Amino acid sequence: MDTEAKGRIAGVAASEGVAVGPVFVHARRELEPERENISEDKVEEELARFQSAVEAVVQKLSETAERLRESGSEKEAGIFDAHVEMAEDPEFHSEVEERVRNLTSPEAAVLAVGEEFAGMFAEMEDEYMAARADDVRDVASQVAADLMGSKAAGLEMLKEPSVILARNLAPSDTVRIPKGMALGFVVAEGSKTSHVSIMARSFAIPAVVGVGAALEEAFEAEVVALDGGEGYAVADPDHDTVVEFERKQEAITEEQAVLAEFKHVEARTRDGQRIEVAANIGSAEEAESALEWGAEGVGLFRTEFLFMERPELPSEEEQYGAYRKVAEAFGERPVIIRTLDVGGDKDLPGVDQPEEENPFLGWRGIRMCLDVPELFKPQLRAILRAASHGNLRIMFPMIVDTVELHAAKELIQECRRELENEGTQFGEVDIGVMVETPAAAIRAADLAPEVSFFSIGTNDLVQYTLAADRGNERLRRLQSAEHPAVLDLIGRTCKAAREAGIWVGVCGETAGEAAMIPKLIELGVTELSMSAPSIPRAKKVLSEL
Amino acid sequence: MVEKETTVGAQEGLHARPAAQFVKTAKGFSSEIVIVKGDKEANAKSSMKIMTLAAKKGDEIVIRAEGEDAQEAVNALVELISQDEH
Repeated sequence: MDTEAKGRIAGVAASEGVAVGPVFVHARRELEPERENISEDKVEEELARFQSAVEAVVQKLSETAERLRESGSEKEAGIFDAHVEMAEDPEFHSEVEERVRNLTSPEAAVLAVGEEFAGMFAEMEDEYMAARADDVRDVASQVAADLMGSKAAGLEMLKEPSVILARNLAPSDTVRIPKGMALGFVVAEGSKTSHVSIMARSFAIPAVVGVGAALEEAFEAEVVALDGGEGYAVADPDHDTVVEFERKQEAITEEQAVLAEFKHVEARTRDGQRIEVAANIGSAEEAESALEWGAEGVGLFRTEFLFMERPELPSEEEQYGAYRKVAEAFGERPVIIRTLDVGGDKDLPGVDQPEEENPFLGWRGIRMCLDVPELFKPQLRAILRAASHGNLRIMFPMIVDTVELHAAKELIQECRRELENEGTQFGEVDIGVMVETPAAAIRAADLAPEVSFFSIGTNDLVQYTLAADRGNERLRRLQSAEHPAVLDLIGRTCKAAREAGIWVGVCGETAGEAAMIPKLIELGVTELSMSAPSIPRAKKVLSEL
Repeated sequence: MVEKETTVGAQEGLHARPAAQFVKTAKGFSSEIVIVKGDKEANAKSSMKIMTLAAKKGDEIVIRAEGEDAQEAVNALVELISQDEH
């Protein structure tokens, strides 16, 4: 028997680093009640247990809301206020109590009533309300988990630094993790570009994703070791494995010490060519940590976070606040704001999005924004206004041709005129195109004279060029920018840019990969934007070119 | 028992935020309060039940209360729910 394979769980190397630690199972959907029924003499006792479980959960939720509020995440804090309200809901309580009086165990009652309430929400027409079904299930599961003293629980319950096992992790999940409590992630679903992977890289937390059903092997383990650079985890590692992981950790620590010297040097190749190394960020809160990693700018500021999981669209004022915060943090250094890039795969409040068979080939990004000016213009106005507080640039996603580019630029002009007439202060911005469709790369020469820069979004360019879904675990060979077809398109984009006298950056995962950096520079790329923890290594790689 | 009919005024109906506001106000009274829309009834102190009524702007609803402060409760909630802004 191959003893080495025992307990070894293979997956996608999503975020570098190693970790060994106790297991925390975040698998709320699989929660099963331990007992279905109770005996008649236990009713009062069980009702009291239910009450104290609710109190414990309410206290945890309130603490989470408080913690988020203190760190300035008002929106996320609101989610937990709503959860507190659900946990304390009198109708929820009376239905659970009735069942317990009829001799159902409190954990079974909580889960069943939670499921009933969730069902009512799920049937509602309003998409935001329908999505509350998950919140109800979540709260009910937490109460049930507390009643059972179970390991499967809400992430805010984390009390010791742990390796988190989950089927999948949404932004609303990861935001709950108390700081410093996630040693690593092992996730059943997902790819290198799914939310949890991007988040793990931004916070330098090791992660292995896409492990599939093998995840369940680790549910019963006490300890899990994982290597996010190699892409595997080990359930209940033996002594030798632990020693091996300790060596790996030492090697990483040594490398980090070397890399630390590169954090704050200006990025140059050995022959002195200046290359800007910037960070990809997904929220205003990430700006400070990006600067600490040595970011020389922001090459991609994803703005979707402002629009997701909320009952109404963000106001111009709220967006202005977020953009200004990042602009001010970076001062003279450039910050590229990518305008809203969502489609049928994500719900937007107040926008009627028809269900689509292929959301990635559908009404998304610039296409949707141009059709819904009441969505797009507040964002453009907010960026223009924030530009008077720093060095902001605007980048349009999903551009296919000059028709879209002209329309988008025309809208910016319109916003400028409005702001001028209102006497509102605003600043100048460079305008660029995110090259992520093969069409934009093939006809880059049409677009180049009209903009100040190109930024190649390799994640989507790869997906669209090779017709390979970036989340599909079976298509790994076709998920790399090293494919000659993709390299050709990058080369073509750089050539058109050179002829028009504009610069080209890369803001996909590729930009942070040591093996790809030399190729990109050779093709003519002069800006690389990546998750912040990759910055020191990229600077080192550049210095050796 | 006191009851009064009114029309939902808030643009977004009894959506998450207005519902939370409504429940907060209702909890300030000791009376038992229900909100009725068509043939559906919800405990006014349960935001989950209220949200699932899916009351939209312009919908006719009835507030019904029973208890010591029933009159005050109905007045306060009718005023809140009929406002244009929440």
